[in-house]
Amino acid sequence: MRFISYRKIYMAGLAIVALFVIVGILAPYIVTKPEEAWGIAYNPDKAFKPPSFENPLGTDALGRDMLNRIILGTRFSLLIGVSVVFISLLIGVPVGLVAGYFGGRIGTALMRLADMFLAFPPLLLAIAFATILGRGVFNTIIALSLSWWPWYTRLVYIQTTSVKSLAYIDSAKILGLSPLTIMFKHILPNITAPLVTQATLDVGSAILEASALSFLGVGVPPPTPEWGLLISEGWQYISRAWWVSFFPGIAIMISVLGFNLLGDALKEYMDPRVRDLLVKGAR
Amino acid sequence: MPVTYEYLIKRLFLLVLVVLGVLVITFILTRVIPARPELLWAGPHARLEDILRARKELHLDEPLYMQLYYYLRDFFTGNWGVSWRTRQPVLQDVLSALPATLELIVVGFALALVIGIPLGFYSALRLGSAKDDVVRSIAVIGASMPVFWAALVLQLVFGMWLKVLPAGKRIDTGLAIMTGFHPITGFYLLDSLLQGNIPVFIDVLKRIVLPAIAVSIYPLSLTVRMVRSLTIEVLNENFVRFLEANGIDKKTLIYRYVLRSVISPVIASLGLSFGYTIIGAFMVELVFVWPGIGYYAGMALLSFDYPAILGSIVFVAVFYSAINLVVDLIHAWIDPRVKL
Repeated sequence: MRFISYRKIYMAGLAIVALFVIVGILAPYIVTKPEEAWGIAYNPDKAFKPPSFENPLGTDALGRDMLNRIILGTRFSLLIGVSVVFISLLIGVPVGLVAGYFGGRIGTALMRLADMFLAFPPLLLAIAFATILGRGVFNTIIALSLSWWPWYTRLVYIQTTSVKSLAYIDSAKILGLSPLTIMFKHILPNITAPLVTQATLDVGSAILEASALSFLGVGVPPPTPEWGLLISEGWQYISRAWWVSFFPGIAIMISVLGFNLLGDALKEYMDPRVRDLLVKGAR
Repeated sequence: MPVTYEYLIKRLFLLVLVVLGVLVITFILTRVIPARPELLWAGPHARLEDILRARKELHLDEPLYMQLYYYLRDFFTGNWGVSWRTRQPVLQDVLSALPATLELIVVGFALALVIGIPLGFYSALRLGSAKDDVVRSIAVIGASMPVFWAALVLQLVFGMWLKVLPAGKRIDTGLAIMTGFHPITGFYLLDSLLQGNIPVFIDVLKRIVLPAIAVSIYPLSLTVRMVRSLTIEVLNENFVRFLEANGIDKKTLIYRYVLRSVISPVIASLGLSFGYTIIGAFMVELVFVWPGIGYYAGMALLSFDYPAILGSIVFVAVFYSAINLVVDLIHAWIDPRVKL
């Protein structure tokens, strides 16, 4: 019984993520007013129209249809979220593997380097990078990735140190396998479960943080319809036209929720103790 | 378990290393990566002499290691440059904005813990039930909202539409002048009480409610989720099963044994949720025109005021590291198993 409700939440997360990805990929073909969506066309006479049949989510200060802009914005959030996690994994995982496998001085040095990055509160270092790099989709991705990778390094490091003392790694060493083979072919596959879970959750977090950067004016530049930027653009007119800021926030919330639900479901599914409890029901 | 002297020294040494790391990273970011750091430093409307002065201030004519030396020296002597937006020394600006931020963070963080810990515990004890589902849903939705958006919506609904609470600012200046309120510690809630100034206290209290709620949403969700999963873990430990099998009273089991083993890891993770609170406060301050470090940094970002941006970032990072040290010490003091 209980397992079904748990499956439902999981399916909801999966459905949101799937929808988000599909809309993100197909966005340019879905939007009905591409010029308005990309922010090239202006209709000053149609500014601040409240939600109506013609503009279901209203129009912004320049008379652009919000629904079209939000749909196209999905693409930027998808691009940024996935790229940030991918690049961070690409940097963070090898560093963590090397630090965990070799340990000693190399391990300490690498982990101290990661600690320096982790000494900043979340997002703060990304703000610093973004300020120096300047605005842009690519720069936002780089700024977030550069501050994100140490989290994976730490995760992989902890996992690697616990796996490397297992007997099968010793036998691999005795067989004369190279450290590279052991790290990537024998350790990495055994630590993917927590890594996949974290990466799923992090796509959501990356979308949130990218929107924060745009809101602070150091992320994606206008007229890109990035969700955080849309909220920021509607901010000064909030008392006149609440819908300009409101709906992009809903879009962010739903997409991040999808990744969080999916990540939570993966986490619980991979933890047999929790899975048992959920099947058996409440204590 | 007492915190040993040796442990304290080790942790302090680590703190110094981390602060140096923060400084080196920010040095590389602001002085090594940009092609012309003096242009950034002097601001977008700089005249030629401003740029030349910035060049001299940053010691750009000297080799990189000397620049780093001056950078570190200036940091430790409190010479953090002058914000060209406010025309004030950055350190002075940041320090005068600190109490406003601290007050907001303390109230928001307290809200998150006071509500989050019992809620997470409650949810875990009813694992899989409808109540658990409700708490989990609230927590996961809270963790999915952009903080600045939540702040905007709160401001819009309660401040502008319903008009039940003020939509911005930290204090009614007119009221403060009329009643002779003057800041002592900079914490207005405390100051107004100390002066027995009830009207100002009520005004300040009303004004902090909305921003504090906005700040607390993310750490609250984080706390609920963490306490919940930790409690589930502890409930499955052998010692709990053993006590249960021995027929121990359920209340005693939960409050005396389970809660106790949950609290320690919760404390260990407070540092991180505090980090989220600080960053949340940054954006909430901007929305609510709250004159703290976040507002200062936000305005600096929007006007490309580099000395102010850098100063705020370094200050917050160092402050965060110090908080983490305090959290670790409390953790070590409470939990005897903690090793460095």
